[in-house]
Amino acid sequence: MGGGLSGLTAGIALAQAGKDVALVSAGQSMMHFMGGSLDLLGSDPSGNDVYKPLEAIATLNSKHPYTKIEDVSRLAGVAKQVLERVGLATTGDTTVNHWRITPIGGLMPTWLTVQGMATVADPDQMPWHSVTLVNIINFLDFPTKMIAAGLRDRGVQVDVKAVTLPELQVLRQSPTEMRSTNIAKVIERNDLIMKLADEINAQVGKGCDMVMLPSVLGIASGDKASQLLRLINVQAAYLDTLPPTLPGVRMQAMLRKHFTALGGTFITGDQVTGGVWEGDELKGVTTAKLEGDVLKAKHFVLATGSLASRGIVADYNHMYEPALGVDIDDLGLDRTTWAKLDVTEAQPYMEVGVATDAKLRCQRNGKTVANLYAAGSILSGHNSVKLLDGAGVDMLTALQVANNILNQ
Amino acid sequence: MEREHNNHYDVIVIGGGITGAGTARDCAMRGLKVLLVERHDYSTGATGRNHGLLHSGARYAVTDHESAVECIAENMTLRKIARHCVEETEGLFITLPEDDLNFQSTFVQKCNEAGIRAEVIDPALARVMEPAVNPELLGAVKVPDASVDPFRLTMANVLDAQLHGAEALVYHEVVDVLIEQNRVVGVKLRNNHNGEERSVYATVTINAAGIWGMLVAQMAGVKINMFPAKGSLLIFGHRVNNMVINRCRKPANADILVPDDAVCVIGTTSDRVPIETCDDMRVTAQEVELLLAEGMKLAPSLGSTRILRAYAGVRPLVASDDDPTGRSISRGIVTLDHEKRDGLAGFITITGGKMMTYRLMAEEVTNLACEKLGVAKQCTTATTPLPGSEPVAKTKKYSFAQKAAQGRHGTLDAGISSGDATSDALVCECEGVSVGEVHYAVNKLHVHNLINLRRRTRVGMGTCQGELCACRAAGVMCDGNAQRTINDLAGFMNERWKGMQPVAWGDNLAEAQLTARIYQRLLGVDRLASERRVEYYET
Repeated sequence: MGGGLSGLTAGIALAQAGKDVALVSAGQSMMHFMGGSLDLLGSDPSGNDVYKPLEAIATLNSKHPYTKIEDVSRLAGVAKQVLERVGLATTGDTTVNHWRITPIGGLMPTWLTVQGMATVADPDQMPWHSVTLVNIINFLDFPTKMIAAGLRDRGVQVDVKAVTLPELQVLRQSPTEMRSTNIAKVIERNDLIMKLADEINAQVGKGCDMVMLPSVLGIASGDKASQLLRLINVQAAYLDTLPPTLPGVRMQAMLRKHFTALGGTFITGDQVTGGVWEGDELKGVTTAKLEGDVLKAKHFVLATGSLASRGIVADYNHMYEPALGVDIDDLGLDRTTWAKLDVTEAQPYMEVGVATDAKLRCQRNGKTVANLYAAGSILSGHNSVKLLDGAGVDMLTALQVANNILNQ
Repeated sequence: MEREHNNHYDVIVIGGGITGAGTARDCAMRGLKVLLVERHDYSTGATGRNHGLLHSGARYAVTDHESAVECIAENMTLRKIARHCVEETEGLFITLPEDDLNFQSTFVQKCNEAGIRAEVIDPALARVMEPAVNPELLGAVKVPDASVDPFRLTMANVLDAQLHGAEALVYHEVVDVLIEQNRVVGVKLRNNHNGEERSVYATVTINAAGIWGMLVAQMAGVKINMFPAKGSLLIFGHRVNNMVINRCRKPANADILVPDDAVCVIGTTSDRVPIETCDDMRVTAQEVELLLAEGMKLAPSLGSTRILRAYAGVRPLVASDDDPTGRSISRGIVTLDHEKRDGLAGFITITGGKMMTYRLMAEEVTNLACEKLGVAKQCTTATTPLPGSEPVAKTKKYSFAQKAAQGRHGTLDAGISSGDATSDALVCECEGVSVGEVHYAVNKLHVHNLINLRRRTRVGMGTCQGELCACRAAGVMCDGNAQRTINDLAGFMNERWKGMQPVAWGDNLAEAQLTARIYQRLLGVDRLASERRVEYYET
């Protein structure tokens, strides 16, 4: 249940191991907002940058989902392999975080970044002397003035340029259409990529040692995105844009394709509406679209995400898990204590999620459900915007759940 | 003496709310040399924190005849002079089963006495006219209520004052009132952006600072007995009703629901609060519950509509001077001539009243100022359209953004560049704000940051509450200083949250988490910001 990073990772691991897997997905996932980098642990609880994630993970409190991972280092390696097998080669590993460049020109610590995107190994030593930032004319989701200002603050010389192709005119007729995914749909043609490369090359002056481009290429695969980079006369790389972030969209598409190729069944545009229970065991689930039919299985994985994905729902007085009605770990909070006054404080509601045992199994009416596991951001006990651990929690808990199922 | 010519004005107006803006306009139109000073942004006090209701006066008809008469007269005037700020929605006063239906006839009679057209209609017809209304209503009266955009109205007054030669300074706070021999001769100003102080001088200084006028008066050594009255309101995520819906009973809590642009607003509560708290008003959980419960009685579908945000303003209520206990509160407009009242010449306070009657308040205080200055020119503000509302031949507008801009700026939209791809690119999809409009606001409408921009253009006021548009706008406005732009974004994010936090459940909480994932994780705004404290005035 859930077609985001955690659901797909669990589905792939289980299908890879020869299990017959069906995955129910509501559609758009949070990966569309993730950009091209995956975090393992970028910040400690006090807000300091983390350089060596494994060391910092060892100090996390006992509520954190990582405490239910048997071997974080090993599974992190497996996660990187899964992405690689899917066709998503990444930069980075667990020994030391690197820095990604955010869509507003700041640097943030992260774990893995899709190849082809600009990364920085040491934030105090920028690897480029002179960067040319080339945007698509009128593409406002790539705020070049801010990115340039951020890079200049770090001692990099920056030229800001913008190019366009006549073919993009069709999008401009309705300004709401100038979004990364729409641009990609128009320009993902060999002839246009070559024309675009010519336009970009014409903007690159002497002494430029890095061309940075907005991620507006590569919805279904990274081929076209790589092709353009190869056609640029100097070293070139992509940066994340405002959402929808294409590298995240692509990552979801490629994971899904791989899952299907492994024999998995991907049911899209549907959601689980309830469980069929026999005692404390889950026998099957019903969905919105499979009227009357029950999806039966030996094991179930709940990976429907947190509040933003409606995997958890907050009503006026309490939070609940709407698909199966499993127990919530509400951390003793109620509506008056969910949210703090200052938005930048750690918000308690972020850590509310489903309760699980040491094997990541859900509970219902206080009793463990032996064949229902939870993975990803639906789990309680962590705040992914503060700890910068979202993708790591998604992938590692999914892989751990797959192991727990396979070892049963 | 540093009182050289260009530093001396006929009138200094303190306060950039609607009263101060209207007063600056009136003074300037009568040929006076005017300086308007505002410590923060325009309409940051009570002006920007009310229903946005163009009262017909019906609400006051039974309890306060004088206010009712003033309201209906100003209502008719503003429809003419500020038509680009007004939406002619009409209003209903409904009687619910728990209300006394006998009140209706008194209400209609009092409305008629005040000159307010009040028409009793069949409840069934009311349900057809306004499908959102509580279907259990027993009675309905139609009145000429409407909705008005207070931000736009204030800005139009400032612009007109400037067109008539007035100078206007935002982020300039009065830190001292200068007195020489029982006469106020000017004020000392502090620039709130850089801390620099300077003195400016005038023959007449007008205190139009709303509830903060009490503190300005204190600086001048005179005492005004004011009662800060907090009023909380809720904004809903879409426009549930198309007519203003009121309860047909004596004024009480949360009995007015006003459609404003694409949203609607329920309010208010009324509680006395200490003056010290007026700089940081927070809406409590109890107030939210009360507003929601009462609001659902007017329009039951509010119960299933997302609440966008909660906010509160402070009414400047004034105790009558003739009541030594200070318990009797003046209704209506209060003009204090401190020369007569306190022996302090050159100083006038204009307060009380309501947004609705700002123009009348401005007229009264300007009359007094003119009298002191020996100027005989008559007031023409009631007959001269505000900039943006001049009568012109209708020009055809094609795109969504062009139409939206015309709706917001009236005829001033001629100053917005459009028609080319760069200007027409959309910054805010919910509200249809283009790059051209952002540039126009920055160049012409005193926009210093994203929150100023929101007040001028509605960027970030729609259902997404600025999720992506604030960042796009920041990208357009960035002046090359990365840290300042990121701090501005952090401030904007915190300001939005202040309104969402009291109503953080349901879709709001889901949206808050998504926003956090975009702003904090993807963009890194909070980690990159060096300063994220948001002053009250920016909220």
